[in-house]
Amino acid sequence: MSPAVAELSDVHKRYGATEALRGVSLTVGEGEIVALLGPNGAGKTTAINLMSGLRRPDRGTARLFGRDPRDPVARRSIGVTPQDTAFPVRLTGREVIALVRDHFPDPVATPDLIGRFGLEEFVDRQTGGLSGGQRRRLALALAFAGRADVVFLDEPTTGLDAGVRRDFWDAVRAFAGNGGTVLLTTHYLEEAEALASRAVLIDHGRIRLAGGIDDIRARVGLKRVELCAPALPALDGVAGIGNTGDRHALLTRDADALVRELVARGVDFRDLEIRPVSLEDAITTALRDDDCADGSTAG
Amino acid sequence: MIRLTAAHCRATLLELYRSPGYWVPTVVFPAMLFSFFGASIAGDGIRAATLATASFAVYAVVGVAFYQFGVGVAQDRESPWEGFVRTLPAPAAPRIAARVVAALIFAAAAAATVIAVAHGIAAPRFTAASGLALAAVLAMGLVPFALFGVALGYLASAKAAVALANMIYLPLAFAGGLWIPPHGLPDMVAALSPFTPTRQFAELAWAAATHTPLPGAAMVGLAAYTVVFGGLALWAYHRDQGARFR
Repeated sequence: MSPAVAELSDVHKRYGATEALRGVSLTVGEGEIVALLGPNGAGKTTAINLMSGLRRPDRGTARLFGRDPRDPVARRSIGVTPQDTAFPVRLTGREVIALVRDHFPDPVATPDLIGRFGLEEFVDRQTGGLSGGQRRRLALALAFAGRADVVFLDEPTTGLDAGVRRDFWDAVRAFAGNGGTVLLTTHYLEEAEALASRAVLIDHGRIRLAGGIDDIRARVGLKRVELCAPALPALDGVAGIGNTGDRHALLTRDADALVRELVARGVDFRDLEIRPVSLEDAITTALRDDDCADGSTAG
Repeated sequence: MIRLTAAHCRATLLELYRSPGYWVPTVVFPAMLFSFFGASIAGDGIRAATLATASFAVYAVVGVAFYQFGVGVAQDRESPWEGFVRTLPAPAAPRIAARVVAALIFAAAAAATVIAVAHGIAAPRFTAASGLALAAVLAMGLVPFALFGVALGYLASAKAAVALANMIYLPLAFAGGLWIPPHGLPDMVAALSPFTPTRQFAELAWAAATHTPLPGAAMVGLAAYTVVFGGLALWAYHRDQGARFR
């Protein structure tokens, strides 16, 4: 693997009664885009906070370019977009960008940044008056303002509409194409698929799955298939089932195969709908069986 | 380092300047208090008026440094912006320095307002030399209280910081002889008074305002408080990992 730029080794972090991370090890190599997947409260933000020097692990170590992330020198070539976005409310976007740029030896030119992240129409307004989506775009631009080698993006596209989200994905791909390294958190499998080559799935403070994005999708990329039919035969590859009257809901890893089987077995169905399943539901459904199989228990 | 300090100064000052609800009361309040209480003390002749003016100028400076900035740090700490700034490659020093510079500017405005109002309603006497000496003492004396404020801001939540600042700052102002001259304080308070940082600050201000050599004991005392509060501020900053909620 390429040299590690950011690393967590067996870190534990507790906030009061909550154990946010329980022995997580994670390595991000140079030039990788790694997605940290997990439902809300899984520990994704804590992992990012430890790597970017905001907090200290209770046990285990965090390393950034081989140094303690709390050392400012270690943070010279990182950029961060936190999950919560707020700026000094009475400063304009341009003034905020100027303040951030001043921290770096060779920052990206302000007009470039404004153009790349579509900030033109609101960059000269005080940030207190910006919409959620506008604040998000400014926060994303700031992660790239210092010409960082590594960016940490915590749920980068939450609250963005589809067009802006795709533009942002393009910007991330361009950054990675020039050798940049990205660690992003998301609870959308779709976003991880669009960007990452590798994904780590965490839940309740533990790593549940790690591997190539295709493997992860094969494990938790469930589809929910709904249809109306008088009766259903026993079907292969169906992970969950429920019905209200003659409306059936099926969870499957392969919706195409399921539909082919329904047709092949002559099931008289109508009003077919296929939707992706939220990661939360996918984890509880898809990983529950695995837990039983390998003898460990979740939570 | 200088560039970062300047950048943080600019941002801090712009933010404060665009909040007149913050800076108008900050600048005007000590002068208002002088016109209520200081003026009666200042009525006993030129020397009394000059001392009272210096006292309220000290009170203005301590107020800005301690109360406003202690609370300011605590409020910022609870904002997600502060979390972002802590991921930037900068140590603590430029940010603390920016706050001290901002405090200097607002404290100068508040002290100047006290002196202007004092000239309007009483008869203090300042020469160019004593005025300059007083300004220098006020600027130096601000530093320990600003550092104490920064420490408080990193140790307390925003709501607690307001209450704690009042609980520390108002008794210190009283015990330090800023409102009532030391000879008018109750006996027990008068016994403690010489050991308070406010009294040491005031002793230097009174000496400067009346063309007297600065008392060495007060200089050493205030310097010691500066070291202690500076250490406290750095320690508080480093142990802080952002606001915690349960």
